[in-house]
Amino acid sequence: MTLKLGRHEFADDATLMMAIVNRTPDSFYDQGATWAEDKAFERVAEVVAQGAEIVDIGGIKAAPGVEIDAAEEKSRVVDFVARVRASFPDLVISVDTWRAEVGRAVCEAGADVLNDAWGGADPELVDVAAAYDAGIICTHTGGVTPRTRPYRIEYDDVVAAAIADTVAYAERALAAGVDRSSIVIDPAHDFGKNTFHSLELTRRLGEMVDTGWPVLVSLSNKDFVGETLDLPVGERLVGTLAATAVCALAGARIYRVHEVVQTRQTVDMVWTIAGRRPPARAIRGLQ
Amino acid sequence: MSRIVLVPGVLALLPEYAGLADPVDELRAAAAAAVGWLVESPGPVRVVADEQGARVARHLLVEAGHDQAFGAGDERVLVVANGSARRGEKAPGHLDPRAVGFDAALEDALRSSDGAVLQGLDVALAEELLVGHPSGIRDLGARLRAAGPAVVDYDDDPFGVQYWVMRWTCGS
Repeated sequence: MTLKLGRHEFADDATLMMAIVNRTPDSFYDQGATWAEDKAFERVAEVVAQGAEIVDIGGIKAAPGVEIDAAEEKSRVVDFVARVRASFPDLVISVDTWRAEVGRAVCEAGADVLNDAWGGADPELVDVAAAYDAGIICTHTGGVTPRTRPYRIEYDDVVAAAIADTVAYAERALAAGVDRSSIVIDPAHDFGKNTFHSLELTRRLGEMVDTGWPVLVSLSNKDFVGETLDLPVGERLVGTLAATAVCALAGARIYRVHEVVQTRQTVDMVWTIAGRRPPARAIRGLQ
Repeated sequence: MSRIVLVPGVLALLPEYAGLADPVDELRAAAAAAVGWLVESPGPVRVVADEQGARVARHLLVEAGHDQAFGAGDERVLVVANGSARRGEKAPGHLDPRAVGFDAALEDALRSSDGAVLQGLDVALAEELLVGHPSGIRDLGARLRAAGPAVVDYDDDPFGVQYWVMRWTCGS
């Protein structure tokens, strides 16, 4: 299915790199490295140069921490979105927020996609996406409250639960008036899930792809990789790329990442192995 | 008047081996133009090629809008053959020091339409040098009676293999 993300369209065989840009002082991976606006802007320019099609700008770290109200969240992201929009007209701008109020403000400023990492916690977010013809990422969190860690959550079948919830969310977005080609589902590794859940979602990602909704995966440097390999943040790239390869083989379309270049190479390689992309240039043995 | 075209049997010309970038874009353009010239007037095309070369010929003909079956006439002949694949250390057949001289002599005969030399091609040596379809070159020699000099559209060895795209117009 053709993907329409705000003002941008992509062919149905395209894979997309969504680079994470934190406007936070405390996110787990970069620990505030792009908290200053100029640093965040430099990060955008860097990932654009690396070929990212999408930036995902977030003003609140996912893990529990200092309460950030909507006004503070907006102050972190809205003007920044406008600045990125003005400088990079061809870039898809996604904003990582669960709040409709913030969603409305960033869409006014030029955002293309609302990445609702918290699975529809604010029911009005879909109305904002519809009103601004924006894309929406429908995630599965198992119904947890935003910014909480999973605690003894279990599922009869985590994949079935992820499919049921994300597809229901997608259909709610469709009913609210969001364009069918602008709705993406995301199993949300580690959100409301232990490591075994995230591994199973990775192993069975093809079942999510089979729903027909385009699938986003957010694997980058997450705890399920760290726990699997017993490695701290900062040493999880190889594990991340291995998980990325499995998801690419299954047909995931969008990859939310810290490392654009490495992930792009991994996805292109697997996509080509799967017969969905030609080699860049092939002459060996064909001269 | 008959028309004859020579193209190399490069598998990279086939759509099933296409990449995002075309490593043989100049060769492809030259071959396509020459085959287009060959089929300017309708009628059967005789293809002189081995099995792989026939696939290349069929693809070029279809691309040129020629969807008729291979013919038996002699008005339009498409020969699929090429020089040595042993022209350098990175060539598919590695370096054979005889390759460059062999190709030079072969090229002289092709350019000057010297059918006698082409018909006398040393097939055993040609096969050692991984020349593409030597018997097709001998066949070409037999067809170049009363031909003017070749029009050379392409002459290069970008991957250690000698390619030519040439055209001839032959008298009756």
